[in-house]
Amino acid sequence: MDYLLRLYNMAAAMLKPGGMSRLQGPSSLKRKRPEVNSPAQSLNEHERLLYDVIRSKQDIGIWTRDMKKEAKLPDNVVNKSLKALQVKKLIKEVVNIQNKGRKHFMATEFEPSKEISGGAWYLEGSLDTEFIESLKQLCKRQIERSGVATLEAVTDSINSYPAFNVDVTKQQIEEILRTLILDNVIMEVKSNGMGEFASIPFGEVCYKYVSKGGLGGEPKAGALASIPCGVCPRISQCTPDGIISPKTCVYYQKWLDF
Amino acid sequence: MVSQYGIKYAVHIITNHFGPLVAKVCDCLLKKGPLPLREIVRYTELSETLVRNCLLVLIQHNCLQPFLLEEEGGFGEVNKVSSLYMVLFDNVLHRVRFSKFMAIVSQEFDKLCVDLIETLLQHGRLSAEQIFDGFRDSTEGSSSGRVEALQENMHKLVKARYVERCPISEPFLALPSEEEAAPVRRRGAKSAKAFLELETLEQCVLVAAVPPEGMRFLFELNPEIGADRDKVENNSSSNTGDKRKLDALDSNIDGGVADKQVVLWRVNFEEFIRRLRHKICIETVRARLDDEAATVFTAMLDASRSEEKKIKTASSVPLSENSIYAEVIKSEKGRNMTLDYVISVLVGLSSSPPFVRVVDNSYIIDFKHTIEVAQTDEVESIVYKKYGKDAYRMFRLLSKAGRLLETDKISDSIFLEKKETANILSKMWQGDYLQMEKLIAGPTQFLLWKVNMMNLRERVLDDMFHAALNLSLRVAYELEQQKEILHLGVDGPMKEKYEKLKKVRFLLESSRMKLDDAIMIFHDF
Ligand code: SF4
Repeated sequence: MDYLLRLYNMAAAMLKPGGMSRLQGPSSLKRKRPEVNSPAQSLNEHERLLYDVIRSKQDIGIWTRDMKKEAKLPDNVVNKSLKALQVKKLIKEVVNIQNKGRKHFMATEFEPSKEISGGAWYLEGSLDTEFIESLKQLCKRQIERSGVATLEAVTDSINSYPAFNVDVTKQQIEEILRTLILDNVIMEVKSNGMGEFASIPFGEVCYKYVSKGGLGGEPKAGALASIPCGVCPRISQCTPDGIISPKTCVYYQKWLDF
Repeated sequence: MVSQYGIKYAVHIITNHFGPLVAKVCDCLLKKGPLPLREIVRYTELSETLVRNCLLVLIQHNCLQPFLLEEEGGFGEVNKVSSLYMVLFDNVLHRVRFSKFMAIVSQEFDKLCVDLIETLLQHGRLSAEQIFDGFRDSTEGSSSGRVEALQENMHKLVKARYVERCPISEPFLALPSEEEAAPVRRRGAKSAKAFLELETLEQCVLVAAVPPEGMRFLFELNPEIGADRDKVENNSSSNTGDKRKLDALDSNIDGGVADKQVVLWRVNFEEFIRRLRHKICIETVRARLDDEAATVFTAMLDASRSEEKKIKTASSVPLSENSIYAEVIKSEKGRNMTLDYVISVLVGLSSSPPFVRVVDNSYIIDFKHTIEVAQTDEVESIVYKKYGKDAYRMFRLLSKAGRLLETDKISDSIFLEKKETANILSKMWQGDYLQMEKLIAGPTQFLLWKVNMMNLRERVLDDMFHAALNLSLRVAYELEQQKEILHLGVDGPMKEKYEKLKKVRFLLESSRMKLDDAIMIFHDF
């Protein structure tokens, strides 16, 4: 029950206004056709020049400074024309992941390329952590329930969730599974065709659930990590009779205060 | 070479057990490597008699091995032989493990065996008669039945290899023959270090000192004992006798300890460390897989133990399904397992991460890999605690990759903003957990990162020695406080404080024992 509720909440979160564009997602990078009665007709000479420069850059777009150089127009004219083009919805400002501080423009009919947007996992120039976390949770639960699963199985099951109406690619799921491996939540194994692997052909790569802890559960603290010295930032200055020593150490004081 | 804090920790242990003078000699030998007596006297600025006595203490407690080393005379002169003293670092560390050794014996044998082991641990090396004498003092009367029981138990311990004959008191290391030395001679070096790397020198000495296999674990029941002398010849020094004459100054230092006619016995640390190594391997398997896997793995260890020759054995002998099964059903936990079930567990053991390898239908324990898994777990948990979850992911990514990766690639792989990624990476680099390389391509500069597990292991081990030293120093400090309270009396308000100190000491001591397990994973196994 809890599981269904969470899934529902997650889907709802993805459907809220901010998440909406996400669902159309990078897999549907469709180019919008310019409207028929294009306002491009009504441009003045400067606006037209600038528009052509921006449009020629297609899905890469252009930084205002480069634009000024290329169009050879004075700053104030450029600024004014950019405003006008934006009002007419011919161009849009986009975030360039490589350099977020720079003002970057692109003709409206293009969607930013991977180099500009950051790729599938970015939303408006920032990592879409909410989306990533949701996918991680879904993948983890899927593998947890089945014990072991192949990449295809995980991808299919996620794409078949009724509440999850965004199509994810196999490659995306693979990236997600890689991070789950790094979190030590699952591990990559090859099927031996026996026991829990019976349904998976021999030799095929699959993913096995390992951690009993939560997502990215903390690894069991080893012997050194369990004592103050193991994680001490001062260890290189600490000597038996120095100013920093185990006798006077504040970390020990805290540790042994019970 | 022993690391800086390894030496400090060892010297600390010796100071606690034998006082500052012995520790001074030990420190000198750990820092400078094997030395002749006169050099030790020179470096420590202690009198020769004092140094001799310190050396005797160290020999008595198996922390020092004297040996004779043949060196080139040079310019057509005859080769000379020097008598050198070498501290056995590992054996010094074993001194904090005595309780672990006794626990192992108590699981297998009865109280008398545990007492025998305790006596030997306390005194270092003793003749059978000396050992039994100690018991005679503590028990009423000295019935011959008692001596018999003692002998029998001693026999059991030797058979189980927990007790062994002491090594040859002063083994002789001859110069390598022409062919062996050829590549080194070209370098024109003459000293001990020149023809043998220090580590191998240590190994050579230890190998040369081991009594012949047939003798090492031979304990003869002697009905005469107690009334007569132990007559078994110690053949140990016979092959070195003539060489001894060559270096009159240093010879016979251990004469006081080892009467050549008497066989001396000591605890065989090697066997205990092997058992502890097995234990850690079993726990690693249990943590990664489950109890059933641990049971089958234990059976494999039992079935192959007798074939194991070295502590650091990389893999076991091959075992068939049937021989493993036969061993599994011997144990209580494995009694109700079917052969099919055991085979399916073996399949699990041999899939990732492989603790067991399958070769020609046989199963081989992969000790090396199992220990590496334990080491990796330890290091990763430190990274997690020290630098956080994202760092833990980066570290795992890099150590799995085993090669240089660029910042952006890392940031993409773990879904973290590039700036933040670069930040954490450089923190780990500053802490020496990562290596960094700059790559300049035109106007842009890329940073590449890598985990160097070999260096990191050494570094973590040094931190472990440092931490173990700190724990021990803190225990001493808390003990001081406890003493003061005892002095004031433990009534009233002091009672609470006293109870707290007891808890503190318990936490410190148990942490130190756990840390010592980790030290073994990185150093001894
Ligand atoms: S004793 Fe204290 S200061 Fe020294 S290394 Fe340990 S935690 Fe750090």
